[in-house]
Amino acid sequence: MIVLPAAAVILAGMAQGGGGAWAHIRDVMLMKYLGNTVLVLVLTAAFALAFAVPAAWLVSVYEFPGRRLFEWLLILPLAMPAYVSAIAFSDLLGVAGPVQTSLRSLTGLSATQLWFPDISSRIGLGFVLASALFPYVYLTARAAFSAQSGPVLDAARSLGAKGFDLFWRAGLAPARAAIAAGLALTLMEAAADYGAAEYFGILTLTTGIVRAWESFGEPATAARLSILLIALVVGLVVLERQSRKAPGQFQKIIRTRRHRLALRDGAFAALFCGALFVIAFVLPISRLIWRALNAGDVIAPLAEAARNSIILASIGALFALICALMITLARRRVPRLGETARSVATLSYAIPGAVLALGAIAIFGAGGLLLAGPAAVLALAWVYACRFTASGTEPLIAALDRAPKSVSEAAASLGASPWRRAREIDVPLAFPGLIAGALILFVEAMKELPATQMLRPFGWDTLAVRAFAYASDERLGAAAAPCLLITACGLIPVYMLSRRLTEAVR
Amino acid sequence: MSAPLVAENVTRRHKGGGGIKSVSLALEPGRVTALLGPSGAGKSTLLRVFAGFEPIETGRVRAGETVLSEPGKLLPAEQRRIGLIFQDFALFPHLTALKNVAFGLAKHPRAEAEALHWLTRLGLSDRAGAYPSELSGGEQQRVAIARALAPSPRAILMDEAFSGLDPALSDAVREAAFGALAEAHIPALLVTHDPVEALAYADTIGVLHQGRLIQHGTADEVYFSPKSPEAAEALGAVNTLKTGGLAAQTFPLGAKILVRPEGVRLDPASALKARITAVRGGGPIGRCELDCGGEKLVAKGLSGAAIGEEIGLSFDPKLTFIFQTGET
Repeated sequence: MIVLPAAAVILAGMAQGGGGAWAHIRDVMLMKYLGNTVLVLVLTAAFALAFAVPAAWLVSVYEFPGRRLFEWLLILPLAMPAYVSAIAFSDLLGVAGPVQTSLRSLTGLSATQLWFPDISSRIGLGFVLASALFPYVYLTARAAFSAQSGPVLDAARSLGAKGFDLFWRAGLAPARAAIAAGLALTLMEAAADYGAAEYFGILTLTTGIVRAWESFGEPATAARLSILLIALVVGLVVLERQSRKAPGQFQKIIRTRRHRLALRDGAFAALFCGALFVIAFVLPISRLIWRALNAGDVIAPLAEAARNSIILASIGALFALICALMITLARRRVPRLGETARSVATLSYAIPGAVLALGAIAIFGAGGLLLAGPAAVLALAWVYACRFTASGTEPLIAALDRAPKSVSEAAASLGASPWRRAREIDVPLAFPGLIAGALILFVEAMKELPATQMLRPFGWDTLAVRAFAYASDERLGAAAAPCLLITACGLIPVYMLSRRLTEAVR
Repeated sequence: MSAPLVAENVTRRHKGGGGIKSVSLALEPGRVTALLGPSGAGKSTLLRVFAGFEPIETGRVRAGETVLSEPGKLLPAEQRRIGLIFQDFALFPHLTALKNVAFGLAKHPRAEAEALHWLTRLGLSDRAGAYPSELSGGEQQRVAIARALAPSPRAILMDEAFSGLDPALSDAVREAAFGALAEAHIPALLVTHDPVEALAYADTIGVLHQGRLIQHGTADEVYFSPKSPEAAEALGAVNTLKTGGLAAQTFPLGAKILVRPEGVRLDPASALKARITAVRGGGPIGRCELDCGGEKLVAKGLSGAAIGEEIGLSFDPKLTFIFQTGET
């Protein structure tokens, strides 16, 4: 079930001859799509590394004012979908935005005289994607830096390494694999992004897929572009897998006291982390809040979209949760089968929503079904399940693995059938993970934009779709409220995640 | 009513090595059989084969005349009625002590009353409503024992069941467990790495070495008449005497001589002299390290010895084992 949509896309792309638009896209646009995608990914990687690695290093190794706060504050940007950051940043940094306006009034220059970098550019897109996604790198890098044995760094210090030298020679090398894994995750999400790129008008593979389908009405062309995107993303998955296999820690981890930074260095560390948090989270959020407050009644028109979001996300989360539970329980019974299913789910997580939506369209189309009404809701829930099952599986497995295998064996030795063991032992044990998984899945499904936009039943706008549509129409006041609602929902699982990870590190 | 649990010529190999090879072992009702051997010898594999968690490649496992395992056929654990007590207790963390014990009594008309009866028997009636996390280690273990015994299993298997507890506690728990076991009159298997535990509670002891059952007999037989050096070592560290050295004075050449530390005797009249090089602990389990003409020996229970003292030694013939090695 999980592989089917992606497989359908690949089949559709290979089997059907491209339409007229394909010839056009291949000759004129393909290199542009590909070039833009690669360039944006490279820029995102550069920005994300520059944001996340120093912050993770400072927070893990040193003690400075506000460190404990930054430890989890820096995860918060994950709550904000990239298209929300894009909307907020373009508002902030645009010609009419507060930054340029105040610069103009300060310098007395006119809009044409004052040079200011254009946020709606490939560099701007890289920056916005990195500001929303850098916490993936931050989290893996922080875990790796914290897992380094204190005495190793102490030994390096006693041998004369300090400051940047300590980081470069002793700290970075053992964490490289973890950083690469986090970066791969960031880039998968960046490659899958539709909203931010479309909003900035950057033609990437993902925006190309949606445009080929929506504007040209050519699913075959969209499918061919999808194959390229899938290849790119699978490459990133392989990179992530390889990084995880890299030699890890051989020594016992010994915690030592964090090195307290002197006043000047400590202030600098706090300033870096603080600036990062303000730029990536506080600024866009406060701009959105300001917009929402100045837009009059923004909540009432949202009631219907909110209802739709909740219905769709609930059905999607339920589907995904059932898949995740099945994988988790299967893994307990037949480990190899369960592990394979888990890998498939992980791979499917990397496939962009636009591609999966296309697959669902192809499958339903082949079956002669029109995607309208309940069928569309079903198709959308299916796509959510494909994309997000992996996010639900991990907390379930983590919860269940806390109980040793012998617990399940004890139940068997007491005569409990596999069904009774699943119902009375495994599911109750996995329950905390089930709650966490359900929340994560709900929020992920709610944030999802491209697949929802392509598959939703006619007239069924969700918060994400509505926010994007308003923003595209330059109705930023109206767009701000749904953006804030989505981000507020996103904060719940991010908060849970940050608490769990921070505890694990301690 | 209860029948023996029998493994006949059972082989179960693991991918990375280990497992058991052609093992035949009968567990008799009302008797405790201990399985001893170094880690990786196959003790846990044999237990899991009996329990129904691992398939077998050759041979047969049966309870009385009922076949439980054959190559290609495995009666699932939940249909075997074999109780298990795990080293990590494996209590269900989301159920109270009472519900844990009642879990295996699903078909019993008065499950909770029966469960309470078992808890009372193991001295836990006042802890029935407590969750595993609220119980001490010894209490958790007694709940595990009550849970395994409550459904009247046809046999009981214990995997390092008492090694997680502190010694004073585990003695009391063991007494409670073996008392209840004796009454149930069913076969019992005790997998352990602790020879003292095996000697104290087992009626018979089986010694596994590299997947093979190298000896099975009463505790006395295995302790006093080991069939091989490996079997001798399974019941505690032994002194190996070098042929031609110290041993040449008393024993034939070309043999491997093993002496249990408790078989090294103080004998002022002996011509064999040794110097005490170290003393550890005291009383019946105190150990002395001796230097006997360049050979190092360990002796047990030589109380009052002082470092540097020279003493006469002799070896207790009942605790000295001679194995022909084939060398001359």
